[in-house]
Amino acid sequence: MNQRKRFIRKIAYACAIAALLLPLSWLSAPATRQADGRQSDGGVLAQMRQEHHLSQATLGEIDPASETIKLATLGMRGVAANVLWQKAHDFRKREDWVSLSATLEQIAKLQPNFVSVWVYQGWNLSYNISVEFDDYHDRYYWVIRGVDFLKEGATYNAKDPRLASEIGNTIAQKIGRADEHVQFRRLFREDDDFHGARPRAQRDNWLVGREVLLEAQQWVDREGISIKGKSPLLFHSHPVMCLINYAEALEEEGTFGEVAKNAWQKAADSWQQYANRDLPTQDNTFMRLADKERFDQRSQEAQAELARLAPDGLREKIFSEKLAALPAEQRETYETAPAERTPEQNAMMYGIDSALEISHLEFADRIKGENRSAALKLAEEAMQADHMALTIDIDRGIVNYDYWNRRCQIEPQDATLEARKAIYDADQAFTAAQLLKARELYEQGWTKWREVIDANDFLIKDAGHVEQLCYSIANYIALLHQLDEQLPQPFMLLDVLEANETFTGRAVPGAPRSQSEQADPTQQLPNAPQPAPAEPPAPLEPATDAAG
Amino acid sequence: MVLEESPPPFDAWFGSAVLFFVQSAALLGLLALAIGYVVAAFRYGPLGGGDVVYRRLKTALGDLFSMSPRRILALSWLAVQESLRRRVLVGFAVFVLILLFAGWFLDTQSTDPASLYLSFVLTATTYLVLLMALFLSAFSLPTDIKNHTIYTIVTKPVRPGEIVLGRILGFAAMGTVLLALMGLISYVFVIRVLNHTHDVEVASLKAAPNDTSGARVGRTAANQNHRHTVTLQSDGTGSTDVVQGHWHEVDEVVDGDETSYVVSPPRDLFNARVPAYATNLRFKDRTGKGSDKGINVGNEWTYRSFIEGATLASATWTFEDITPERFPDGLPIEMTVRVFRSHKGDIEKGILGSLVLRNPRTGRTSAGINFEAKDGYIDSRTILPELTDPSGNRINLFDDLVDEGELELQLQCLDMEQYFGVAKPDLYLRARDASFALNFVKSYVGIWVQMLLVTSFGVMFSTFLSGAVAMMATLAALVLGFFTQFIYGVAVGTVEGGGPVEAFVRLITQRNVTTELEPGLPRNVVQALDNVFMFFMQSVTSLLPDFRHFSDVDYVAYGFDIPLNLLGMQIVSALGYLIAMSAIGYFFLRTREVAR
Repeated sequence: MNQRKRFIRKIAYACAIAALLLPLSWLSAPATRQADGRQSDGGVLAQMRQEHHLSQATLGEIDPASETIKLATLGMRGVAANVLWQKAHDFRKREDWVSLSATLEQIAKLQPNFVSVWVYQGWNLSYNISVEFDDYHDRYYWVIRGVDFLKEGATYNAKDPRLASEIGNTIAQKIGRADEHVQFRRLFREDDDFHGARPRAQRDNWLVGREVLLEAQQWVDREGISIKGKSPLLFHSHPVMCLINYAEALEEEGTFGEVAKNAWQKAADSWQQYANRDLPTQDNTFMRLADKERFDQRSQEAQAELARLAPDGLREKIFSEKLAALPAEQRETYETAPAERTPEQNAMMYGIDSALEISHLEFADRIKGENRSAALKLAEEAMQADHMALTIDIDRGIVNYDYWNRRCQIEPQDATLEARKAIYDADQAFTAAQLLKARELYEQGWTKWREVIDANDFLIKDAGHVEQLCYSIANYIALLHQLDEQLPQPFMLLDVLEANETFTGRAVPGAPRSQSEQADPTQQLPNAPQPAPAEPPAPLEPATDAAG
Repeated sequence: MVLEESPPPFDAWFGSAVLFFVQSAALLGLLALAIGYVVAAFRYGPLGGGDVVYRRLKTALGDLFSMSPRRILALSWLAVQESLRRRVLVGFAVFVLILLFAGWFLDTQSTDPASLYLSFVLTATTYLVLLMALFLSAFSLPTDIKNHTIYTIVTKPVRPGEIVLGRILGFAAMGTVLLALMGLISYVFVIRVLNHTHDVEVASLKAAPNDTSGARVGRTAANQNHRHTVTLQSDGTGSTDVVQGHWHEVDEVVDGDETSYVVSPPRDLFNARVPAYATNLRFKDRTGKGSDKGINVGNEWTYRSFIEGATLASATWTFEDITPERFPDGLPIEMTVRVFRSHKGDIEKGILGSLVLRNPRTGRTSAGINFEAKDGYIDSRTILPELTDPSGNRINLFDDLVDEGELELQLQCLDMEQYFGVAKPDLYLRARDASFALNFVKSYVGIWVQMLLVTSFGVMFSTFLSGAVAMMATLAALVLGFFTQFIYGVAVGTVEGGGPVEAFVRLITQRNVTTELEPGLPRNVVQALDNVFMFFMQSVTSLLPDFRHFSDVDYVAYGFDIPLNLLGMQIVSALGYLIAMSAIGYFFLRTREVAR
């Protein structure tokens, strides 16, 4: 009897186990890839993992090394990760790069779906560890190690825009912006192991980086994948900035003509697309960077209409009331001429201006009668337009919109390309000690630059651009010095030299001083400090033989 | 290789070690005697207690002198059989399994795969063997006592000391066999995994730039995540550059119309350099004034000191025992220099440095040997015996610069506002190369010593504790042994944050380690308690083995011969612990009813 009971109990257990297997399978069956390439969805958990991109949902994608390490920690994964991070820090401190690299691999295997680990350590390899080496070949190796590390992270975290963004930006920015960018870009082009079958002509770090960034952008646009904490404004600006930087890099390396023109044109087109992209704002609405002028115009139209509906002198009346309502001290401050205000009064003026400001709604609220509702509506419209214009303006400031927008318009123009090419050729001729040829090219270049600057005066307000030009002007002055000549007076780019002094506080060596400084008596003293050379306008050292 | 503490000469160490051992043994023996007497006096009265202690000591001495090697061997054999019964070979199977899948876990793109693989196999072996020794030694005696199987032994004419020693030696013998097997497999594994060759990419071979001898330069195909640059001479022989710590010989083979290229297996992948280190390193600052250290360029790790370029700053190593018999072909120097640039300088070029050889007595110097620093790499060069002085006169290394075997090597950085960073072991003479296989064996001797220590502790604890508790106690000794330096630092107050009680107070009050606790009674109480703990910690760490000092992994991994004095110190230390643990185990076992 006892035996029978035991047997029945065993059967009951077996049935219960079998019954539990059904919901278990429904819940946690892994997705599998069939031999014909089709993929089963798997259980509820696998589907949720797939949906939220949480981990490897498909059985074939599970990395046995990672899973083994996770299991081997016997539930102490967090502790193990902490110990490994501590070890990694210690190895870095002790400059044990082999052990550090191995430890990072272990950390990543332990937490393969913790994207921040990949991002942080990828950055660590490419930016922090690479600079520990003196030889740029070694530095390049560690930059690529960082990129490879991030790529490995991307295999565990498919379609994660944060990782893709890091990969793209590291390839683009680290290789293209480092102190060693000339060498890095050359090594990158020669790196067959990184590129595989990619043709040499397409191995530009800006373009390769952009490819990855565009892919990430498509996941966001087409599949609605979240960029998780990244700013959409910046995230979507990266691909177009790659094109701009690519065009700049071409010119820096001496490629002009149609190639540079096309590169700038493509960058300009891409910039327009970016300017017309819907970008989310903090108010859960969308805006386009190109729309600021439209909102400004809409606000002005609404304000004009509002003014038309208001009785004559209403604005002045409200203003008088507000002024009268100010405390005596503030009113006195307001009525004091700006030049005669004390510092305290100047500080007070900010509050006074705010208090005297008449908002659109305030103004409309004072309109009575049949026009009142229309006025309030117009005020609301103007206010919203102002708000949007302000939001766009702030975002434009973040991505330096106005500057790049203008550059994209100017740079593809033939005049600009010719001006840049002339100066580039002149610098090259000067380095090669072809002084006469260099002088001729410089003089052509200055004339062309004069035309470009006259047509686009904002270039004179760009410190980077001015610095770049002053570098070549310093070469030109050094060249003239070797030819026993002085900078022709008046120099046609005197405004560039003055702008450089304003930006850097220093004059280009050999260049005439600005009028204000010439008038400064301290500059006439024999022991007055001499101006340091502008950065980087230290002239290139030409070869010894003169006259090319 | 980073060598923060150089092992002292064996003879200098041995005397002080024996003295420390004798002092500790005497102190602990007296302490044990006093405690034993108090306990016995409590049970049998003052006179009776003294009698019991006397008899115990007399019996112990008798047992010591009547120990039989034959019986110890027989008991050892029993321990071996027990190990086999308890599936000790599972540990070996796990090891093989780990090696089979090692490729999954190792960094395939490592810049120094030999170092990585060697570290991996040696560390894996160490952990596995120590765990195995821990389980075997801690559970053996308690299980026998619990199952009463110990009576089959104690009813025979065996002494408790023989039981303890027999167990330790038996388990150690088993561990030795396992270690030998693991060592053999590890060696074959590392050699085979890293052995490789490359194909030469024929299309890449071009005439070498600025060369008129007909040399060609090209590259190999990628294999094992790297490729080499090939330089072929006009006679068809050539070699590759050094990548991932090795290079290859390359031969052009012409067979009729067909030309092929044979690339050899890796050369210099596994080394066992025998370095002759300097006896002293001193620095001069930028004004030429002597100092113990150079400057810190902002590194948290102060292992290396830096000297400023284009100033009088220098680093000078003093070498001894430099003789023409020892170095007939000149001085084979290996040097690791870290570079710190305070400005970018010329990125395409390395920072220039200069080495000057100097007679320590006469002050006569050689002309500077200029070089471009290879930051982070070992720069090998041979200084030939025939040199010139700064005036261009011919001088001989051994006749003019070496005085009574002493020679100074002075390093300077030549580039302005750039810095070189060095430590004493960064410049040495590669006296000779030892056998890598033998060095590998030596590293396993280091692991064997650790296993012996764990076994000794395990058996000792198992004489008076139950299996699980003995295992925990041994594990605690092992963990403490691996963190001895830190615990000692806490005990003597060099680690910030105070002792354990203060650290606990900081933890719960969320204060960082640098904030002073408020003066007053609570702080006094905390510090008084800490003093007790810290005295205890200091005593324990002084007595426990520092397991880090028993590891030779870095030597093998970075291609340096394990010095015999280090190995000797490790073996002698382990034997000391073996004797001490056997003695303690004996007395504890005597207190057990089964062994009386």
